[in-house]
Amino acid sequence: MNRFGVVAIVVVVLALLATVPWIASPSIIQFGISTLLMAVLAQSWNIIGGYTGYASFGNSVFYGLGSYGVAIAMVQWNLPFGVGLAFGAVLALLFALLIGLPVLRLRGHYFAICTLALAEVMTAIVSNLEIAGRNTGLVLPLLRGDALFYELSLGLLALTTLTVAYIARSRFGFGLIAIRENEEAAAVMGVDTTRYKVAAFAISGFFTSLAGGIHAYWITFLDPVSAFDITLNVKMIIMAVFGGPGSIFGPVVGAFLLSAISEVLSTKISTLASLFFGFVIIVAVVFMPRGLADLGRRFRSVGWRYFAENVRRNRL
Amino acid sequence: MSAPGNGASGGAVLLDVRNLSAGYGELAVLNDINLSIRTGEIVAVVGSNAAGKTTLLRALSRVIDCSGSIVFAGQRIESLASDAAFDLGLVQVPEGRQLFDRMSVHDNLLMGAFRRRDRAGVTASMERVYTLFPVLKERRAQWAGSLSGGEQQMCAMARAMVAAPKLLMVDEMSLGLAPAIVDRLLDVLADIRKEGVTVLLVEQDVHSAFQVADRAYVMETGRIVREGPAAELADDPDVKRAYLGV
Repeated sequence: MNRFGVVAIVVVVLALLATVPWIASPSIIQFGISTLLMAVLAQSWNIIGGYTGYASFGNSVFYGLGSYGVAIAMVQWNLPFGVGLAFGAVLALLFALLIGLPVLRLRGHYFAICTLALAEVMTAIVSNLEIAGRNTGLVLPLLRGDALFYELSLGLLALTTLTVAYIARSRFGFGLIAIRENEEAAAVMGVDTTRYKVAAFAISGFFTSLAGGIHAYWITFLDPVSAFDITLNVKMIIMAVFGGPGSIFGPVVGAFLLSAISEVLSTKISTLASLFFGFVIIVAVVFMPRGLADLGRRFRSVGWRYFAENVRRNRL
Repeated sequence: MSAPGNGASGGAVLLDVRNLSAGYGELAVLNDINLSIRTGEIVAVVGSNAAGKTTLLRALSRVIDCSGSIVFAGQRIESLASDAAFDLGLVQVPEGRQLFDRMSVHDNLLMGAFRRRDRAGVTASMERVYTLFPVLKERRAQWAGSLSGGEQQMCAMARAMVAAPKLLMVDEMSLGLAPAIVDRLLDVLADIRKEGVTVLLVEQDVHSAFQVADRAYVMETGRIVREGPAAELADDPDVKRAYLGV
């Protein structure tokens, strides 16, 4: 498919998605909002985890900072929502610079473990901040406008994906992929690895914090444990990896599909839903560990053997 | 300083190292190294394991701190960062090749041009390395990780050539390769010199290094203990006994 075809399809899908609030039921719109935000999170994680190869468990911190940015600005300072979003984004960028510089020196599992601790630390810190409402959290002003939240989330997803598409074609993105493939070699070839990694972390954090901010205003309630919830981070990784890390549309498709599967399972067979969800994940990891994007690329040439090859190659 | 080499030397001094010392933290590895390379030469630095050869390259490419002075192309570089030294044309072919295994050969070579902004120049460089290494042109779409050891070494050297180096520093080129392949690579080094690139070859394999080098330095425990034209050093009884096994 040529570039023009891809752009045309994306525009049509985007237009169709934008009409949803006018035709769908309230519960579908709400499902749409959380799915779109989840897709933003998966796509943001894709920048640091998929392209740069640093499996960050610290993205839920960005999410929490974005949420609290909006909540503190609106509740404590009576500022408009937009200012709150900007405040949360600034917090996330500062965090990415401050924490990214030392933590991004770690590689592989060590990086993952260290970022895993960050969310716990942030929960503890925020629980003791007067301005953040300590343990009890903050209650935001209520805004009845799911259509608005829906369009806002859709716009953010489009912006995030556009950014990823731009990065993927840029010299910056080429440098990130080089870091993922062989960081030492990238350094030898003159890639300023520290600056590139921190920049990727910061861009990832920026979009994650915006999603957190929108979510906080939509849900209207915020407490430390749910704001810095690590399972949310696990979810974004699963969705990005399911769709295809290091691809432009994979994480979005992954988030849409998995959200839909999880939604259907929990309405049809409520009690066993998470069990079935786990089953779907395991099947995906065994048969297509490189995600839907890789499946789509290779299935046409290899056919059904694709699945057998994956099982054999990974000695499962 | 030693007399100019017996080969294509006679050019201006490209790299001049004076009283260079370097190490890792408290551990001093290099002691008072003096070394110079003229434009168009192939100079070998030989020595056994742990002589400090790779540390010397790391100091020259500005990856680790050092004391003393390094003058490259008329400019003091001992306090520069590694990417600034890279921009001046000081390019390394690292030990163990360090290719991007899961990227195509072509993309690996393009990575060499990462810091270059002259699109036309990059295209010309790519053409040149494909002429220099025809086998890489054949395999341009293949993953670099699927190449044979010798081809991988060629790919690493080609990638460095795309960076338009003035001085190409090759670390342990012959490591783990069959003698016939090493001979091919030595021919390639001669071709690279014809392209106007000066070569610093760091080798444990003294025999092959001396085949192609104009001049050589022998390192032992962080010092330079012998230097001179490669042909003379190859006849030196001490060098013969210690490194050539005769």
